[in-house]
Amino acid sequence: MHIPDGLLDPITTVVLWVVTIVFMIIAFKKIGKSFEEEDSEKLIPYIGVLAATLFAFQFVNFPVPGGTSGHLVGGTLVGVILGPWAAVIVIFMILVVQSLFGDGGITAIGANTFNMGIICGFFGFYIVKAIILILNKTNMEKEKKVTIATAIGSYIAILLAAFMAGVEVGIGGTIPMEIIVPTMIFWHIFIGIGEAVISALIVYFIYKVKPEFITTEETLGVE
Amino acid sequence: MTELKTYKWPILTIVIITVVLMVMLTVGFAIGILSEDPDGLERALIDAKGETWLESLPSPWMPILGGIESDYMAGIIGILLSVVLMIAIFYLIAYIKKRND
Repeated sequence: MHIPDGLLDPITTVVLWVVTIVFMIIAFKKIGKSFEEEDSEKLIPYIGVLAATLFAFQFVNFPVPGGTSGHLVGGTLVGVILGPWAAVIVIFMILVVQSLFGDGGITAIGANTFNMGIICGFFGFYIVKAIILILNKTNMEKEKKVTIATAIGSYIAILLAAFMAGVEVGIGGTIPMEIIVPTMIFWHIFIGIGEAVISALIVYFIYKVKPEFITTEETLGVE
Repeated sequence: MTELKTYKWPILTIVIITVVLMVMLTVGFAIGILSEDPDGLERALIDAKGETWLESLPSPWMPILGGIESDYMAGIIGILLSVVLMIAIFYLIAYIKKRND
């Protein structure tokens, strides 16, 4: 999913950088507001733990049929744990670190943040929220509702992000849109399963071990 | 000492995550649950244009940590960098917020 340098056209690159910067500014303000609550800073070391977990999981590629591999993106996962705005910042920072290793281009950080942070993290959070609203009509336990919604939400979000990544590359014209978009969606149909399973397992694990770490329960509307 | 107590669990968890990653890399590649095949986008690009084309894409810079060939070393450095950057950025947000108030 990491778009390398030299693949996007200049206009797409700039537009997606602008969108990312706007989201980052709003995210900084929103997160700043959340620190008004007493003791909220105690959560910061755990955000570091989450960063370590995410980096570790993004580092390991699981096999997908057809000589392809996939790895966790984790945008929706971070969104569910820390909220949609924090997800944008966390994914941006992870992408900066990964670009130092040559995983994803430096000029493409805007596009990669848009796909993995804004689509998977920000919009993924609201997809999860919508699924929880439906699941609220059942008498399921709340950790099961959040786990199932995270699995479905991260699967949908990863397909949307793959679609957008394909469109962005297609706009550049290097590879025709009618080839890159279906190919991206095809491979992410399989990769998304891994994303959904890993995200759901992590959320379920946190619910069992340290449920207070899921800071978004109220915003998600879990009943 | 109080500071160390505050950070005891996060530090311990990060150490555990690092160790688990190292074990996962060692065992995972040995028994085939991990893969070095290209990921979704790389596969789509290779299918359309070939591996040589993908490797020759122009980049305005040389990734400064791109020379690290050991997965283990890259994993440890990456985890540490992510943790430090993330904690720094969130403490900075909290600090700016408090200063402005």
